Amino acid sequence: MNFVYGAYSVIWLIIFGYMMILGRRQTKLKKELEFLKHLDR
Amino acid sequence: MSANLEREKGALSSSEPVAEKGILVPKILFGATVISILASIYLIFIYSSIEKTMGVVQKIFYYHVASAWCTFLAFFVTFIFSILFLAKRKRIFDTYAYVSAEIGVVFTTIVLTTGPIWAKSSWNTWWAWEPRLTTTLILWFIYMAYIMIRQMDGVWDKKARLASVFGIIGFIDVPIVFFAIRWWQSKFHPIVFGNGPSQKGGGIEPDMLVALLVSITALTLLYSYLLQKGVTLENMRIKVTQYKEKLREDLEN
Amino acid sequence: MIRSALLIAKKDLYSELKTKQVLATMIIFAGLVILVFSFAFDPANNTTKAVIPGVIWVIIVFSGILGLNRSFISEQRNDTMQGLMIAPMDASSIFLGKFLANFSMMLVVELVSLPFLFLLFDFQMYGGFGYLILVLMIGSFGFISIGTFLAALAANSKSSEMLLPLLLFPVTSPILIGAVQATKIILTNIEKLSSAMAWIQLISAYDVIFFVLCFILIENVLEV
Repeated sequence: MNFVYGAYSVIWLIIFGYMMILGRRQTKLKKELEFLKHLDR
Repeated sequence: MSANLEREKGALSSSEPVAEKGILVPKILFGATVISILASIYLIFIYSSIEKTMGVVQKIFYYHVASAWCTFLAFFVTFIFSILFLAKRKRIFDTYAYVSAEIGVVFTTIVLTTGPIWAKSSWNTWWAWEPRLTTTLILWFIYMAYIMIRQMDGVWDKKARLASVFGIIGFIDVPIVFFAIRWWQSKFHPIVFGNGPSQKGGGIEPDMLVALLVSITALTLLYSYLLQKGVTLENMRIKVTQYKEKLREDLEN
Repeated sequence: MIRSALLIAKKDLYSELKTKQVLATMIIFAGLVILVFSFAFDPANNTTKAVIPGVIWVIIVFSGILGLNRSFISEQRNDTMQGLMIAPMDASSIFLGKFLANFSMMLVVELVSLPFLFLLFDFQMYGGFGYLILVLMIGSFGFISIGTFLAALAANSKSSEMLLPLLLFPVTSPILIGAVQATKIILTNIEKLSSAMAWIQLISAYDVIFFVLCFILIENVLEV
């Protein structure tokens, strides 16, 4: 049973890790965009 | 660099309203993904019966197979969009190919981590040079190389061209790799280590089949949600770069 | 197309003959690999014979990578790559010419280093000599053809020396598996020749598929 828990936690860790990377990219881009808009004014 | 970005500046203003309208699709996809994943977890852990010979460990199988399927789907999508890009030279095709390859690598990583866990519990070794596992490992390396091409410096259309070419080569290589490895194994290690992860064959119970199909659907939905999200992100990145370029030009004048 | 390909191959080989830079590096490197392997596996030991087929292909692969790296990078110093691409000929003939030049350099390296390997490891050959030549030829053919293609691809990157092995090794893994297995059968037990022939057929199929594929796709790689 331990193996099952291990496998499923690894699966969700990878998926959430990837989603977190995506989220980080998004916030970085948003920040950049805000900064650029600020510059534009 | 600037010459290339200038060419597509027309798209900058027109893409704004599309983003407003397309906000519904990711919401629906996200909801469907969450619901189907919860359903698949219920089906795997509570509904489906426990396999007789392998016991509870067999429950790894559902997500292992489902992510293997998603891996194949993702790389197939990359292959198709690579061909489309080379034929039509539209940037959106390239974006899809890239995002799909990246998600494919994520799913391959899942297959590569659950595979050894499965192997440890049923064959008592972490790794067997079994054709499917080995092919998956080589697949992972090929698409890591694909991502490395994307990380190159240079103009986007050059990178896109080279990556598309490699996406086609890599995908065509996969069946040959699988064939070669299977042949190699069958000739020199005639003993097969029990049943391979996806070698279930005929003896699958109907309730297990239901759980398997639901997990495949769930992960496919997750794949399409991630694909959609990644493409939106990439488009945003392109827009930011264009914006930067425009500002830089304004400053110069 | 063939004529311009031959012209490019002649140009490459001629400039190589002038400097002998790449060829010398490849051969010395092959010798060093043999030396390192003699440290890793005791040549006096009988079990060492089992690793010889692997050593042969390690030599070919690693010294091949050295040559492939140079083949397109050397065109960049004076921007002669632009000249080649603008010249009135197909991209496929550039590929063919580069391939011929790389292939013949590879054959020279094999011709020099493999006798040395057999000599230094005191290897007695049981199998047919002709079959060994055949495996070496088709294995190197496939490796160099896809290698030339990927070298053209990687040359666009600033760090192409690092990128090329990463691209090349996973893609050529069927050739490496097949060639090592076939060489092993031929060198150690020739009675199983039929299975060696099966491997040779697999490698030939790979060669044909990828040679044609490279021919079609090279237009997209070498684009001005």
